[in-house]
Amino acid sequence: MSRSFTKFAPLAVILVGSLALGGCATKGFVREQVAAVNQRVDALDSRLQATDATAKSALAEAQAASGQAQNNGQRLDQINARVDGIEQRMQENQRKRPRN
Amino acid sequence: MIPLFLALAVLAPAIPATEGVRAAEPAKPQADMPQEAGAKLSGEAARVADWIAASRDNGALPYIIVDKKAAVLSLYDASGKSLGHAPVLIGVAVGDEASPGIGSKNLAEIGPAEKTTPAGRFLAKFGLAAGRQKVLWVDYATSVALHPIPKGAPKRERRRERMLSPTGDDNRITFGCINLPVAFYGKNVSPLFRKKGGYVYVLPDTKPLEAVFPRLRVQAAMNGGGG
Repeated sequence: MSRSFTKFAPLAVILVGSLALGGCATKGFVREQVAAVNQRVDALDSRLQATDATAKSALAEAQAASGQAQNNGQRLDQINARVDGIEQRMQENQRKRPRN
Repeated sequence: MIPLFLALAVLAPAIPATEGVRAAEPAKPQADMPQEAGAKLSGEAARVADWIAASRDNGALPYIIVDKKAAVLSLYDASGKSLGHAPVLIGVAVGDEASPGIGSKNLAEIGPAEKTTPAGRFLAKFGLAAGRQKVLWVDYATSVALHPIPKGAPKRERRRERMLSPTGDDNRITFGCINLPVAFYGKNVSPLFRKKGGYVYVLPDTKPLEAVFPRLRVQAAMNGGGG
């Protein structure tokens, strides 16, 4: 044992002790914060699930409506084409001129 | 604690920044000749092209997207493959509607504000017009057709020069019809549309894109964009 060891040993003990105690306090604080945040996350998660279900249902309805609109659009296209064809076959003096 | 901060500091550069946005500026071809397939589309045109390809809105028919703001036409085959781009001339008036009864008016009776190229989705087909000529009608009801620059167009309108100019600002000159380069029409559009026609999607000047093509909203929701 050297003289310097006996001189600095108490200082080292105090330093290590204070660091350890400080560490414990920090962990406790973090646990409290995390618990609070976890509660909020859980609440948000349940709300998100409800919103997600609503959104999925709305999207399914929109897709169905879109598909129906697409079918209707195609039927209208066919009807329009037939009407246009009939109109074009009418008398020459009734035929249209393009808007150049 | 300290290791946690160190870990975060190390990981920070790995977190991606916001996604890049596709360029939205209009791109107009520089010459009269058709442009290569895959040339740059405006943001709106690219969005409509993506929607048509994804939803197969064209059925089994070829289609054209007319970007009025950029004065550019893009042609696609029935499978959605891009076949090229070409500059176009469109109606002199800015607007997305056709005035009521315009289809039955003579050219001389059409007022300046009525000379719009209506926006929307049209099933275009070849059909007869006055003078027993065959034209590709885009919207027969409003007398809008897609054709090369008419031979009888007044020289003072300088349609060819307008089509050739690098800017799209001077491409508004017609009564509402869509004029395109004769070579592109003859080699690409006419053979493709001759049998069963095809769809023409005319992008709006002033209306929101979703107002003209409402199914874009559904497509956006399906892609997870939410709107």
